[in-house]
Amino acid sequence: MDLILVNLIDGLVTGLLLFMLSAGLTLIFSMMGVLNFAHASFYMLGAYFAFQISLALGFWMGLLIAPLIVGVLGAGVERYGLRRVHQYGHVPELIFTFGLALLIEELVQFIWGKNQMPYAAPDILQFTAFSIAGNSIPAYKIFMIFISVAIFIGLLWVLTRTRVGMIIQAALTYPKTVEALGHNVPLIFMGVFGVGTALAGVAGVIAGPVLGTFPGMAFVLGSIVFVTIVIGGLGSLWGALVASLLIGWITTFSKAYNLRMEDLLTTLGFTKPEAIADSPWRDLWSITSPQIADILPYILMVLILIFRPYGLFGKRDA
Amino acid sequence: MTAALALEGLTKSFGKTEIIRGVDLAIGKGERHAIIGPNGAGKSTLFNLITGRFSQTAGTIRLHGTDLAGKAPFQINRMGLSRSFQITNIFPKMTVFENVRCSLLWAMGYRYNFWSMVGRSRALTEGADAILEQINLTARRDLPAGVLSYAEQRALEIGITIAGGADVIMLDEPTAGMSHSETDYIVDLIRTVTVGKTLVMVEHDMGVVFGLADQISVLVYGEIIATGTTEAVRANPKVQEAYLGGVLEDH
Amino acid sequence: MSDQITSEPTKPAQRMRAGSMVLPLAPWLIAAVALVVLPFIFTNNSAITIMNQMAITIIFALAYNMLLGQGGMLSFGHAVYAGVGGFACMHIINAEDFFAGLPLPLLPIFGGLFGMGLATIVGSFSTRKAGTVFAMISLGVGELIAACSVIIVAFFGGEEGISGDRTYGLPFFGVEFLQQIEVYYLIAAWLMISAILMYLYSRTPMGRMANAVRDNPERAEFLGYSARWVRFYSFVASGFFAGIAGALFAINYEILTEENLNTTQSGIILLVTFLGGVGFFFGPILGAIVFTLVQTVLSLQTELWAFYLGIIFVATVMFFPGGLAGLLMMHVPAWRMGKIGHLAWPYLKTLGGGLIGSLGAAALIEMVFHLRHASIGDHEMTLFWTTFDSHTVLPWIIAGVTTLIGFGICRATAPALVEAWNEANAAPKVAP
Repeated sequence: MDLILVNLIDGLVTGLLLFMLSAGLTLIFSMMGVLNFAHASFYMLGAYFAFQISLALGFWMGLLIAPLIVGVLGAGVERYGLRRVHQYGHVPELIFTFGLALLIEELVQFIWGKNQMPYAAPDILQFTAFSIAGNSIPAYKIFMIFISVAIFIGLLWVLTRTRVGMIIQAALTYPKTVEALGHNVPLIFMGVFGVGTALAGVAGVIAGPVLGTFPGMAFVLGSIVFVTIVIGGLGSLWGALVASLLIGWITTFSKAYNLRMEDLLTTLGFTKPEAIADSPWRDLWSITSPQIADILPYILMVLILIFRPYGLFGKRDA
Repeated sequence: MTAALALEGLTKSFGKTEIIRGVDLAIGKGERHAIIGPNGAGKSTLFNLITGRFSQTAGTIRLHGTDLAGKAPFQINRMGLSRSFQITNIFPKMTVFENVRCSLLWAMGYRYNFWSMVGRSRALTEGADAILEQINLTARRDLPAGVLSYAEQRALEIGITIAGGADVIMLDEPTAGMSHSETDYIVDLIRTVTVGKTLVMVEHDMGVVFGLADQISVLVYGEIIATGTTEAVRANPKVQEAYLGGVLEDH
Repeated sequence: MSDQITSEPTKPAQRMRAGSMVLPLAPWLIAAVALVVLPFIFTNNSAITIMNQMAITIIFALAYNMLLGQGGMLSFGHAVYAGVGGFACMHIINAEDFFAGLPLPLLPIFGGLFGMGLATIVGSFSTRKAGTVFAMISLGVGELIAACSVIIVAFFGGEEGISGDRTYGLPFFGVEFLQQIEVYYLIAAWLMISAILMYLYSRTPMGRMANAVRDNPERAEFLGYSARWVRFYSFVASGFFAGIAGALFAINYEILTEENLNTTQSGIILLVTFLGGVGFFFGPILGAIVFTLVQTVLSLQTELWAFYLGIIFVATVMFFPGGLAGLLMMHVPAWRMGKIGHLAWPYLKTLGGGLIGSLGAAALIEMVFHLRHASIGDHEMTLFWTTFDSHTVLPWIIAGVTTLIGFGICRATAPALVEAWNEANAAPKVAP
């Protein structure tokens, strides 16, 4: 029971982190109809910028400044890159963001090299918040949860309670009309893109110390983020939240509990072949849940797409 | 004789709004039927329902007696119903000739064929050239369709629509946005290429309607308030009141 | 209907067709001759290795373009179809009894069939939608299969992959494929076969409808074709040829690992195809040749080759979405009018300036990289056959000035080039 609680917290941290990325991604998607392949690259840039800033000004300034720089960069990418490619259609847009992801990874390697950066959580958060049955929960994790939840509430508040949010929501559905009403829709698009990437930047800043700040970090998380918003339903904020938490918990639990395929198959009434080493099924028998934890999201996605092609919360016309 | 196209109690709602509110209509074989009505009456929605672009909320649509419920556009097309679009809908990057040739493929039995060369089929080339001749685009044969003038693109659209040899042709505002001379040209074109076929069209231009159709249905707020010959519809007081009066005075 | 048709040779369109019966064959004959002759010109082993790699990449890129260029489907996981085809072939090579009775040149057929089989399974649900949804499914499935390579060790061989010996096959007219050159001709033959088949495919009703569905799926549906099934058949056909490329990879390298399946590999093939140009059949061929050469040459010269490649790729997407083939084909009208010569000098000036500027910028980038990442105390670097101290000012000034001058020339001469371009493409004023 206690272990379940620990894993719930761990899964929540992963899930909320995923959500900070997928929220921005799904907002950008529903706005411009293009999946920003480079989204996780902005997450990586957030971590690297924060690391660089933390060397000079400390962690907290990094948390404050790095997302801003990332957001400005993101807005610039929208203004000078995407808007240009937009005229060629959706597929070139996707290819563009894909190329951008490659380029950013190379750029990061160019500037910071291939090794992991010694980016760590601030000393003030280096303590154990509380323990559950001997498992200590670091304060940094609690801090991550608070930041994520605060951002989610803030985002929800802006989108549903403020005038800007109303305009954004309207611009998502009726860009032409909103433009005719005198709002600068390209500017709104650029702003949302900037905010979306800045959110990814925040995620990078707070995840960097835990998951490591290295050139492959965008790639590791990137495809999971896409999977998340596909599962949640492209363009759905709630879908992104549910799918993020789902994936966070699924991967955490399957890593924590060593479920073996052998047990499952035996329970189902299969008998293990005598000469298991020569059997073509030997890999099936030896599968354990920690082993497949990282590919569970992909399996989930394929299943979802087969049985519910529009994702958990997706609209049919998306 | 079964009607070429028969609608019974057809309704369509988007959310709570009922756009088509119980349409009954039978269009006989070889009939030239125009559906008219004020803006927002649901004419295009009706078209989209018949051609399988939308699915109906209730009611039935029969093509030569066969229920079309649940059929996808391509299946309906294979049953002999072809349509044009209000907004020009062609393959802009392909040549004019290719546009027409593609629309012949299924009808000529090629289906999902991946072993015969389209360029080597005489029947296909000649068939496409014959259509081009009919729609007077032979001179534009090898140009990308996207560079044609608007009227030419509309003509091509009609060419694509009739190419497959469907016997029920549905045209959605074929003359929308055209000048007078262009309109006359397209009307002549439609008249010649649809000889012997069932024609269903939505049109705003009363000149076009009276020039092409021999039966008219008036659709107002999702209901057909009158059907009949041009004279009968013209004389119908309900129509006069709802629609024709105002429009006819303009002309 | 048909009695209206008269074959009038005076009609320009029909005349063109009559005269063009011979012409389409010419590029194929040239390519075939080139493939036969090339090993006599580049005789050393490393050149043949590069050509083998090039030929495999060409097949794979052409297969990929069946999706991207002709079908409008963007796949981020196409490496798995080539990879699985290759792995399957490796198992056939290792199945001694069976392989002993199978001539090696027939092996790629099996690779193709396995690639096609996988594509049939995946395509059955992934081709329902084009665009973003298709791209995401392709990515997910690609990642899934790549990740499986570590789990399903029996088939993928885990981290070390699986390897075999191609020479155990049934000798093919006495050839056992011990020599690299023998493998070259095997690959070259398959390159010709696959390229011709893929070209012919684009001329079949399915090939034409793939284009139609790409441009306007809705219209295609109203012409009697299910957009989904058209996409599905393109996908399966593409999987077949990708499988052939994978099989040739297995034959050439005799080892397959997770690297043949992963997203990086899929990304590279997207890059190759797009750089070459998706709009024309020969685009991917061009892309594969240029990419392989650039990769080989650049990666020998600099650690940063992937960085430069990334810049080129993003620039291509932004400014030349037609890729290399598109750039070339832009010049066809001027060529037809016989005015291509007028462009040569303006091009030389502008591109020459651009080249100088780029080299200068590259030098700056290399120096920054050296400054940041060379081990402490290592001040010496070699660039463009010159060895100098990267911590002194002079090289920086030279590189900086070269960059400025180069791009300066480029900028100054650009208007003249634009003018020359407009001039060369202007329709002749007086009709002949």
